[in-house]
Amino acid sequence: MAWRWGLFFYMAAVTVAAFLYAPLARKLHEQTRIIYWHIPVAWVTVVAFVVAGWHSWRYLATRDLGEDARAAAAAELGLLFCVLATVSGSIFSKGMWGAYWNWDPRQTSIFFLLLIYAAYLTLRAAVEDPARRARLAAVYGLFAAAVTPLLIFVVPRLFFTLHPDPIVNAGGKLEMHPRMFQVFMAALGGFTVLFFWVYSLDVRIRLHQLRQDGVLPGAGKDRSA
Amino acid sequence: MGEDLGVRLGRRTVLAGLAFDWSGPGIVAVTGPNGAGKTTLLKVIAALLRPGRGAVRWEDGGRALAGRDARARIGFAAPELGLWEDLSGLENLAFLARARGRAWGAGDGQRWLERVGLQGRGDERVQAYSSGMKQRLKLACALAGGPRLVLLDEPGSNLDAEGRGMTEALVGEAARETLVVVATNDATEAGWGTSCLELGGVAGR
Amino acid sequence: MSTWTAARAVFAKDVTTELRSRYALSATAVFALASLAVVSYAVGPFGGRPELLAAFLWTVLLYAASAGLAQAFLREVERRTWLTLRLVASPGAILLGKGAVNLVLLLATEALVVPLFLALFGASFRSLPGFVAVLLLASVGLSAAITIVSALLAQARAHGALVSALAFPLVVPVLMAAVAGTRRALVEPGVAPPELKVLAAYAGVVIGMGIVLAEHVLDD
Repeated sequence: MAWRWGLFFYMAAVTVAAFLYAPLARKLHEQTRIIYWHIPVAWVTVVAFVVAGWHSWRYLATRDLGEDARAAAAAELGLLFCVLATVSGSIFSKGMWGAYWNWDPRQTSIFFLLLIYAAYLTLRAAVEDPARRARLAAVYGLFAAAVTPLLIFVVPRLFFTLHPDPIVNAGGKLEMHPRMFQVFMAALGGFTVLFFWVYSLDVRIRLHQLRQDGVLPGAGKDRSA
Repeated sequence: MGEDLGVRLGRRTVLAGLAFDWSGPGIVAVTGPNGAGKTTLLKVIAALLRPGRGAVRWEDGGRALAGRDARARIGFAAPELGLWEDLSGLENLAFLARARGRAWGAGDGQRWLERVGLQGRGDERVQAYSSGMKQRLKLACALAGGPRLVLLDEPGSNLDAEGRGMTEALVGEAARETLVVVATNDATEAGWGTSCLELGGVAGR
Repeated sequence: MSTWTAARAVFAKDVTTELRSRYALSATAVFALASLAVVSYAVGPFGGRPELLAAFLWTVLLYAASAGLAQAFLREVERRTWLTLRLVASPGAILLGKGAVNLVLLLATEALVVPLFLALFGASFRSLPGFVAVLLLASVGLSAAITIVSALLAQARAHGALVSALAFPLVVPVLMAAVAGTRRALVEPGVAPPELKVLAAYAGVVIGMGIVLAEHVLDD
């Protein structure tokens, strides 16, 4: 129990530090403080994707519905974080370049990640039978995982052919002031821990529900009929 | 040479805790009221459905077979397994054989059509067949090509008295070489079996 | 190898059924022509810029492809032949056979759409071999992806419209590379590798994954 309070204070400290402790990067505005939020959140989206992909694979290998529950939980959270990343990214984009959306490589990648998450969850919603749903979702998830690297690395290369306009990198400068870097890494770590905490809660709920339904073996109290 | 089936099936909603061990040649009848899970059982045996709990084991001549290998040797006629209506009777038979990698000649098709009483109708599209004719074609599809296991779900459905007599004869003939499993509500058909598995109603075992 | 024989049998059966019912052919052709008409009406014959033309062409093709190619598995389920098919043919053979049918269907649609497209927009390719290469590779990837998605959804008993929704995110790399390659072929001579490499990689990944996961795609 205590460590959750620890996480709370830690994140609060990181937030405060983001505003007061870290200096502004040169020539940039206050809006750029959003990178302490935006990049970790986008990072978590990718982490969630990998977790979902891993558990999809495990489901196909073991046919254990618990693995499917984990994949689904990761995907739901991934969608949430992806939406947050997209929105925060467009706010940043507006501040930096004057436009909310300009289809630069990063924005394009995050948008399609959003589509893939949404499609995955749509597929899950369309199937009733748990075993079939798990199998179809796992297959789709793995296909998506195989295709995504192509997407992420294809887009930059092709885009420069279509758009000579050199809007490149949504991230900040690579050489960060040491304090900025500290806050940044702290935020990254904090958000990752946050994700895994919420994820584990989600998984626990799902596994409990599966045991209640009798789909998974295990001590569930009160199994009626 | 027959097939050996050792099973313990538990499927939460439909079948529960079934166990059986069959070997052929011969006829096994599976009976039970509607909804008892006869079709489901046949589908699991045909490796078309994965049981929630338990497993089916197929053995041919002492060697264990994986599900997909077993499928290639199984003939299955059921209401849920339809035939391609845009193709003719002969084309259906030919496709089923070729998809399994079996050699199939024009003569083979004609012979089977004769045996099920569809001679001369082989070139018509299945769309034009009556329900009785379709059932006869399904039987031909199930029995043709020397399957090692034959599954028949309600084989007499849609057939007239002559058709049912023909079915009984064909089943008897097939049973001399392979194991035939007949799932049925009909007492006469159930009587063909030398052994019988009765599936309970909603309550399960 | 028996998978090849079975796949050939599946392919032949589907081609025969298709030629007799002409269902998918008409659906694809109608969707292609309708969307082409809309675009042509909106833009006019001097719409011009190569990026736009490339984008329009692939939008029309994608739309037609999702409509027509999605039928491959859905109809087996509707006609109750799904279980019969799964009984006699291995999952790999089914995917290969149906994928091949879809590819042929897509290529036939392209044979109809591309000439019309060029006529309606007064365009011509500076590098026809370049365009043909892009077209072929992209078609392989596109038809493979849509085949797999429609296989998944047929078992979900989901509406065919969902196929477009689920296939679209997966085919984005193909579309982007195809549009870029088409644009290039409209303005530059010669056959240039970058987009072709991407298209080939995509086709390889999807087909490879399809082979590896075939059992899971189709086995209950």
